[in-house]
Amino acid sequence: MEAYRQEIIVGSVVIYMLFCVATGLWAMRRTRNSSDFFVAGRGLGPIVVALALFSSTLSGFGFVGGPGLVYSIGVSSFWMVVISSTGYAVGFFLVAKRIRMIAELRDCLSLPDVVAARYGSDAVRFLIALTIVLGVMGYLATQILAMAVVMQAILSGTETFANIGLVSCVVISSAVLIFYCVTGGIIASVYTDVVQGFIMMIAGSLILMTAVSVFDGGMQEATAIILADDSEAIMPFGSAGAMASLGWFFVFGLGLAGQPHLITKMMMNKQMSDNRSILPMSLFGYVMAALLWISIGIVMRAAVIDGIVEPLALPDDAASTFLSIFANPLLAGVVFAGLFAAIMSTSDAFLNIGTAAIIHDIPTALRGRSVENELLWARVVTVLLAIVAAGFALYSHYADATLVALLGAFGWGTFAASIFPVVAVGLNWRGATVAGAVTAISAALLINFVVQLSSIVLPYGISGPLVAFVTSMILFIGVSLITKPPELAPDIEDVLRI
Amino acid sequence: MTKHVIYYIFAVCVSMGLLLLMIVMADSVPNAGGQPHAEHPGMVIGADGAARLAHIGSLAFVFNSLLLTLVVGLCVLGVSERHRSQKFLAGMGGSWLFMLVIWWMMFSTHQEFLLTGETDYFMGFPVPTAWQMYGTWLGAVPLIVMYSYGFRTFIYTCEDEAEFNALLEQAARNSQQN
Repeated sequence: MEAYRQEIIVGSVVIYMLFCVATGLWAMRRTRNSSDFFVAGRGLGPIVVALALFSSTLSGFGFVGGPGLVYSIGVSSFWMVVISSTGYAVGFFLVAKRIRMIAELRDCLSLPDVVAARYGSDAVRFLIALTIVLGVMGYLATQILAMAVVMQAILSGTETFANIGLVSCVVISSAVLIFYCVTGGIIASVYTDVVQGFIMMIAGSLILMTAVSVFDGGMQEATAIILADDSEAIMPFGSAGAMASLGWFFVFGLGLAGQPHLITKMMMNKQMSDNRSILPMSLFGYVMAALLWISIGIVMRAAVIDGIVEPLALPDDAASTFLSIFANPLLAGVVFAGLFAAIMSTSDAFLNIGTAAIIHDIPTALRGRSVENELLWARVVTVLLAIVAAGFALYSHYADATLVALLGAFGWGTFAASIFPVVAVGLNWRGATVAGAVTAISAALLINFVVQLSSIVLPYGISGPLVAFVTSMILFIGVSLITKPPELAPDIEDVLRI
Repeated sequence: MTKHVIYYIFAVCVSMGLLLLMIVMADSVPNAGGQPHAEHPGMVIGADGAARLAHIGSLAFVFNSLLLTLVVGLCVLGVSERHRSQKFLAGMGGSWLFMLVIWWMMFSTHQEFLLTGETDYFMGFPVPTAWQMYGTWLGAVPLIVMYSYGFRTFIYTCEDEAEFNALLEQAARNSQQN
């Protein structure tokens, strides 16, 4: 079997991509209007929503960047993972019920729709939609680039595609992504999420077993090797230190309830009462999948320190090197298919909310109504958005990485800082005002932009998104407290009371 | 008391902002955010953990204690005022204490390691890290149990459901009239 390692990996990825295409065709028959395209007609069952929720949380970053971060900075990056239980709990307590209620009551298609209904303000709708579009471009470009780089690495190991270029890989991966996003919309996305979720859970647990068997003394021997080399790397705050770690706890934990691609999925379940089972199922899936992040990173750091493995050229090579050296070819195939699945489903979720922002939210904010024939335009804009993002990805790779890096600043941290107060707090507090919301979003965008542009380095590893998040929370509540409470629409008043 | 939970949340956020300010202004320590590994490119080491926490250790401890307080405060905010019963608040208080104990165990065992240089292991990890990894993951379990098992008591009761259905019917009637 070892002799066919590359063929097995390529075969697994091809099977997954064919599955994506088939899912897109199947979902197209179920997508009859823009509500189906954007929120799956609010008719999904609890298992589908639970798997879609956790698999969208763990994008390709979890497969490639996560183990790389553990290899690089040790336990510091665990904080991004172990906060998941707290993050999911806060998200469900604050968002799941009321976003679903407002979505059904006002027939909302997107997060900005819900926000506009809550605040009765198109200015807030516009700012949230703008934040989403900026974030989507950065996220999408990096996801497409990651997908193409991995595809090139896999295909170049075969005889037939030994000289395949990055542009060809961007074209192939974008074509599959576009096909199933355009045909099936969010329905295709959530059903591929289901498969992805299962793959990730299986891969996570199998990888843990493989990782534990690398050293005779299991995980304890690996952590002892790291401890002997640099104790801080394997202590609770890791190499990056206490404030960097706690900052991630804040931004990734609370911030989960501010991620538009995740909380939009909380609008899609059929029954409100399904939330009681969606929460534990999502968390269980996430924990199983995250075992991959932690175990590969730890074992690769220990293996390099111990001299079993040559030092990596890049920390992000940790996962692929681990798979090529320690994993059974079949397991490597499953994990690589899982990696593509993770990237594709996250990309699809972002394409979906980005398209909604462009064809539905921004026109509604500016001229009071969405475009005519939303479903057609949704498909057209999905194609255009993916092409532009692929262009960004290639431009950043070959010419100048600044633009994508800048858009990348509008990632998790910016979503957390700008959306969490307005949505998670605002949906539960009648006193939240438009002035508070506008101030919080603007401050979050400004702080993240300034920190990114001027490359400000704060002491003790304090991050820009942490500062932005704390500031936006203070401004949102503070400004709301000193401005006149708004007159809410009677139905919204009732929803906030229930 | 819980009617004003937003004021407590605001006070916690302001305190966290002030703590961040104090940490930024504290005496700096070279390479507090890590330094490159001498032998392996791409790896970062933390080096002297005691030195890195010398000026900010207690501030970091208070910061995360406030963060855990904020988490519980936000969960209380997420529950309708009329469902914030004594039982609910007791559960939230218990969850808060549970998370604080885990955080204290993690912090104190790390401090102990920094003093002695010795540690035991638990399920593959040094004890302080085991508290961080397994403890933090499990720390929110009481909140999740309260949400899932208390769903029909605190989150979305049958009365809530009836009220919401009435709202939907009203909205449907209104749209028909328009």
